[in-house]
Amino acid sequence: MKIDRRKLIFLDGAMGTMLQAKGMQAGENPELLNLTRPEWIRDIHAAYVDAGSQVVYANTFGANRRKLQNTGHTVAEVVSAAVRNAKAAVGDRALVAVDMGPLGELLEPMGTLTFEDAYDLFAEVARAGAEAGADLAVIETMTDLYETKAALLAVKEQTSLPAFVTMTFDENGRTFTGCTVASMARTLEGLGADAIGLNCSLGPKQLLPILKELCSQTRLPVIAKPNAGLPDPVDGHYDLTPAEFAQAMKDAVAAGVSVIGGCCGTNPAYIRALYDAVKDMQPGERSYEEKSFVCTPTNALFLDGLNVIGERINPTGKKRFQQALKENDLDYIVDVAIQQVDAGAAILDVNVGYPGVDEVAMLPRVVKKLQAAIDLPLQLDSTNPAALEAGLRVYNGKAAVNSVNGEEKSMAAILPIVKKYGACVVGLTLDENGLPKTAEERIAIAERILDRAESMGIPRQDVWIDCLTLTVSAQQDQAAETLKAVQHVTDVMGLKTVLGVSNISFGLPNRLLMTQTFLIQAIQCGLSLPIVNPNQKEIMDAIAACRVLSRQDGECRAYVDRFAGEVAAKPVAAASSLTLGEAIVRGLRSDAARLAREALQTESELQLVEGHLIPALDKVGADYETGKAFLPQLLGAAQAAQSVFEVIKASLAEKGGDTVKKHRVAIATVQGDIHDIGKNIVKTVMENYGYEMIDLGRDVAPETIVKAVVEEDIRLVGLSALMTTTLPAMEETVRQLKALENPPCIMVGGAVVTEEYAQRMGADAYARDARAAVEIARRLLGGN
Amino acid sequence: MIDVNEALRYLGASGADEELRQRMQTIAREAGQSFAPRYTYRVSVVEHRAEGQWLGDVQLLLPGNSARKMLAECHHAAILVCTLGLTFEQHMRSMQARDMAQAVLLDACGSALVEAGCDAAEKEIAARFPDAYLTDRFSPGYGDLPLDLQPAICRATDSQRRLGVYVTDSCLMNPQKSVTAIIGLADQPQRARIRGCAYCAMKDTCLLRKGGHSCED
Repeated sequence: MKIDRRKLIFLDGAMGTMLQAKGMQAGENPELLNLTRPEWIRDIHAAYVDAGSQVVYANTFGANRRKLQNTGHTVAEVVSAAVRNAKAAVGDRALVAVDMGPLGELLEPMGTLTFEDAYDLFAEVARAGAEAGADLAVIETMTDLYETKAALLAVKEQTSLPAFVTMTFDENGRTFTGCTVASMARTLEGLGADAIGLNCSLGPKQLLPILKELCSQTRLPVIAKPNAGLPDPVDGHYDLTPAEFAQAMKDAVAAGVSVIGGCCGTNPAYIRALYDAVKDMQPGERSYEEKSFVCTPTNALFLDGLNVIGERINPTGKKRFQQALKENDLDYIVDVAIQQVDAGAAILDVNVGYPGVDEVAMLPRVVKKLQAAIDLPLQLDSTNPAALEAGLRVYNGKAAVNSVNGEEKSMAAILPIVKKYGACVVGLTLDENGLPKTAEERIAIAERILDRAESMGIPRQDVWIDCLTLTVSAQQDQAAETLKAVQHVTDVMGLKTVLGVSNISFGLPNRLLMTQTFLIQAIQCGLSLPIVNPNQKEIMDAIAACRVLSRQDGECRAYVDRFAGEVAAKPVAAASSLTLGEAIVRGLRSDAARLAREALQTESELQLVEGHLIPALDKVGADYETGKAFLPQLLGAAQAAQSVFEVIKASLAEKGGDTVKKHRVAIATVQGDIHDIGKNIVKTVMENYGYEMIDLGRDVAPETIVKAVVEEDIRLVGLSALMTTTLPAMEETVRQLKALENPPCIMVGGAVVTEEYAQRMGADAYARDARAAVEIARRLLGGN
Repeated sequence: MIDVNEALRYLGASGADEELRQRMQTIAREAGQSFAPRYTYRVSVVEHRAEGQWLGDVQLLLPGNSARKMLAECHHAAILVCTLGLTFEQHMRSMQARDMAQAVLLDACGSALVEAGCDAAEKEIAARFPDAYLTDRFSPGYGDLPLDLQPAICRATDSQRRLGVYVTDSCLMNPQKSVTAIIGLADQPQRARIRGCAYCAMKDTCLLRKGGHSCED
């Protein structure tokens, strides 16, 4: 549906406020009133239409399966009654929207509701709304972009209804989850929303600056449905009169807002005042800047100037990475990501394609894991369209896709996915004729990709072109062709360019120099998105210098910060007397790794573990027990030990040998419990005593734990519970585990667990803290 | 501002050496700049009923002896929700992936910060009712006040919409650095039953105290 944003559309006001006025009790389910008090609902809708509303929201805000459980009513029943009530009240005087609010439970990673389950819950409501004859779908009061995406996808995929989407923002211009206006606007527009805006949260005055920003971040009609001012906390009353509300809303309309109504605290009098005040106004002119953009909810990245794409999440040629993929060791991949974040990458390329790895399952898992830990936009890198779609689907924000090429087959497979999820896409300048030889051929392919993308409705600034770096030692003439093409795509086509730079130096000595030189030349020609290894200092040094020369680094501030410390830092490196043991005890991660690498020249991996690592950890452990060291120090030592283990793993992976043989321990926070820091502490410490920790997560059902124990043949299970309310779940888990034919040992811990409780529920041991857990594991499993 | 001693106490590391104290100080400074507690509250008349303390304006019943004792002399009570919000929660998650040792320091700072938020809310409530004397703050889980009041308190304060505070089916709050509390308002000075005799308005004249006891004995 194309909505004319130069025409005003009047929405309704609050439903909840009106129901309370009719006599709804606190704690009563408002949606059930569709069935028990249809006359109330019809009265309210009719009053809004009489006041000027052209769209009314059916009373379905919380009519999802989760909130209706235990009411004895189905979603279809409640939603169809709600739409029926609305239709009966408004006839053909107004349109009826099926309304979807938040599910009332946080999605992963903050909560434990999965994206897929959230989608299912919304899909059911959207379908019921469409079947009942709703004219459009409204998604409102959202604070989490991820939940909003699930709802919007559900509407788009399950119905043909237009979708209006509004989120709630704070006066600081963010939602409660930290989502920015730009991230919200550009992600939702990319996903195909028909109008977007703000509702609830604040009054019209406070929302005005945020509405203005929103108007500049989208081409869609903008919605404003604010509260009747701010509530007095003492009694909950809102502070604006209908006239004041209407007056304040005039400014929003003047700023370009065209779809208007009210939220909490408003009633038909407010809508009437609003209607009378603005009905003859034209929404103000808006300006929108077409810009290349990718984002996470909290990191809105406008691609001005030079931005580095980190290339390290890729198994090609990396044995340790391949091993991590095979072992499902996603923590390792997160570590690789964090290093690149710290080194200055702006976007991370994510490639998990490797023989034997199911990319369609692995890519979304890695995307979820990464977005829980880091805050950089991702570029999903695969030749498998199904894997790309699976990854884009669960990505929270606006991502990029690497890549499509000029081949008909590639464009037909990749571009529809890019369009559907509103992603950016890298267009690789090759096609069925293979690698082009000249800049002109590259440009022709780039134009073909761009034309096709634009014809499908993908904005041109979302298309980035890769002019292909070829190895200069093999095809020396090609470097100049690549650069010429980069220049043309930048200057003439006006698109962003991507280059995998390091390919240039393959097979040559002093590769770094060659790569760095080519990088600088390419930047000079306009390269804006180099794909590099940001951990290579010289590469990032060159980028820092280029940023100064192109005036992106105002007053050379970042450059000075980068290098000013260097002169002073060097002499301190005289810590050569530091032993590996001391480095671990003091929690010096990089020193410990360096010393471990040195030790491996003369000692075996096993000697390293037994001779240095375990004694050092035991020393910190003893200090911890006697109150000389505290938890951060215990964990610091554990993490330094972790870096030593990384060195050992990498060494073994290079030799192609087995990993160090270790006992495996499963660990979980029990069902209903979301407080998992204690479990994570135990995991960190035990891992670094050499136990392989199978982390089952938090809020884990007893059945899931039993299944893992049986399938993985686990001999020791650690369970944690923090609250008295979740102790029964711990007891139940212990009961189920002990009922197994060959029951594992179980240790339990957590704030409310005591030795006595542990015994009573049938656990084998009570772990007071992480250090105690190690002792128990040693006692029960032996070794390590 | 985060009280570093308080944060060390939450960590169980009051005896920390200078190095650890410094680390805590650095994290406390950063956390104090990046995160601020937010709160919301509602005030209601208290009706002392047989089945418990009825807060009619927010339709909430506080059952049990603890609430009865705490609110015995109160005509009004405030219910309060304070949180560091989901962004702190996200930051904690990312810190745990990055550095567990720093994460436990940050966690302790979070606890101190959310308590400081409750203090600020309490001050605001005191200022709104200048003639009233406030009881100590008490929360579900205190004495026999049940934890399963959490959903009702969050509903009565509309905490999900106002603060982004959710309650799980097992009555846990998410974000984890969230606190609900109840504060009674009375016409006469209230004993510091929870904070202890040192804070009590009656400490100089209290007979229990003179006899070597306290009102919580």
